[in-house]
Amino acid sequence: MNKRRIVITGIGVIAPNGIGKERYWHALKEGRSGIKPVKRFDTGKFKCKLAGEIDDFKPAIFLGQKGLRDIERSSRLLCSAAKLAIDDAGLKINDDNTDDIGVCTGTTLSSLWNFAQFDKEAIQDGPLFTNVALFPGTVMNAASSQVSIRFNIQGFNTTIATGYSSSIDALKYAIDFIMRGRIKAVLVGGVESLSLANYTGFYRLGFFAGINGEEVSCPFDKRRNGIVLGEGSGVIVIEDEEHAQARGARIYAEVNGIGNCFDAYKMGKYEPEANGLKESMKKAISNSGLNISDIDYVSASANSVPMQDKLETVALKDVFGRYAYNMPVSSIKSMTGETFSAGGILQVAAAVGSTVYGFIPPTINYKERDDDCDLDYVANRSRTVRVNNVLINNFGPGGSNSSFIISKYH
Amino acid sequence: MSIEAEIREMVSEITEVPVEKLTPEADFFKDLNVDSLKAIEIVAAFEKKFRIIVPENDIPKIRNISQIVEYTKNIKKD
Repeated sequence: MNKRRIVITGIGVIAPNGIGKERYWHALKEGRSGIKPVKRFDTGKFKCKLAGEIDDFKPAIFLGQKGLRDIERSSRLLCSAAKLAIDDAGLKINDDNTDDIGVCTGTTLSSLWNFAQFDKEAIQDGPLFTNVALFPGTVMNAASSQVSIRFNIQGFNTTIATGYSSSIDALKYAIDFIMRGRIKAVLVGGVESLSLANYTGFYRLGFFAGINGEEVSCPFDKRRNGIVLGEGSGVIVIEDEEHAQARGARIYAEVNGIGNCFDAYKMGKYEPEANGLKESMKKAISNSGLNISDIDYVSASANSVPMQDKLETVALKDVFGRYAYNMPVSSIKSMTGETFSAGGILQVAAAVGSTVYGFIPPTINYKERDDDCDLDYVANRSRTVRVNNVLINNFGPGGSNSSFIISKYH
Repeated sequence: MSIEAEIREMVSEITEVPVEKLTPEADFFKDLNVDSLKAIEIVAAFEKKFRIIVPENDIPKIRNISQIVEYTKNIKKD
């Protein structure tokens, strides 16, 4: 059976260090961070002050003013990225093709703010005086649904909420849809927005850098002591290669192998051997038909949490053997912060930039070597090199693991 | 600010129709493109502002700004 090829034809990114793909890619190449003191809410009561906040985001530029008041920040971020991706792909959506196009979004906490606000009003003003307009936005699939509503996309609409690996799991879901011939193109997205509610949650869990050490996102560095929370959204247009060719679309890259696995271990604890991550990488590589030596670069899930970065290093050595020492591994989370469910799609958007412009983004803020993390982490400066195949990892203490390979299109 | 002006401002914000275009008789559904969710939002905002609960049966009677203003006057009399 001939394997259907799936290609990426459009990119839309709203990231802390760049809005729009070109600015984002440029920032990554320059090693420019989007992490800064939080402006959206008062951090006075916290020991930590930083986040990957997108403080220059003006949704009206992308979506117009009308209807904006009805949608909350996550939907604004996702719809704006979708608009950029649709325009970038030159995808015309109309009554003839709307059933051939789907939307699949990775997000887990994006509706938390609405939920918290709704609850707060019920408590402050009494349940009968709550703002009913907040209620539709309390569901997890609100942002994804808004994309379909706004751009009239009727094929299907799904939200995948698997925490750290949501975007890549959403991508897998979309790929399966296309592989089965059930749909021609999918807008695959990921989004999380920064709010007092999710900042407080991660802080109280003791997950933040700065609680016990320096407040910095420095993956793989010995000083690492937690995440800096980020927000962002990304949408890519993936489609059946034949469909893309038939409409004369410019093709950025090819979707190659993908694999995922769940560690059924303990709530909020890392599986101590990283077995799920190893399995995901092995599945992705075998699914792609590539050899391990074909991987030019690994876009790591490392987020400056001591255990996470160590485990990813362990898993890479297990899967790649001695070749692991020759392979550049870097984490863009040093520049964007940990954007949770949006992390995967931001990594995909970055990887497309790597294949198009031939560079590997650096792991910035790298100063002190850790014996547990002894691979080539592309410290502080990007590397200009031809990039054909990028392996992207997503995992976290929630148990979900996903790996994905993006390849230059030939 | 008069009660009418306050209500006009509130409705303007929800419907995204500029205050100057909101005539007292403009029908929310026919003229202002208000859907059922927005209608509930208008009623809810009105309830919150005047700390009252509009009985279900009264909701269909409120279809434009002048009817809201009228409704408010009746509440005040009560």
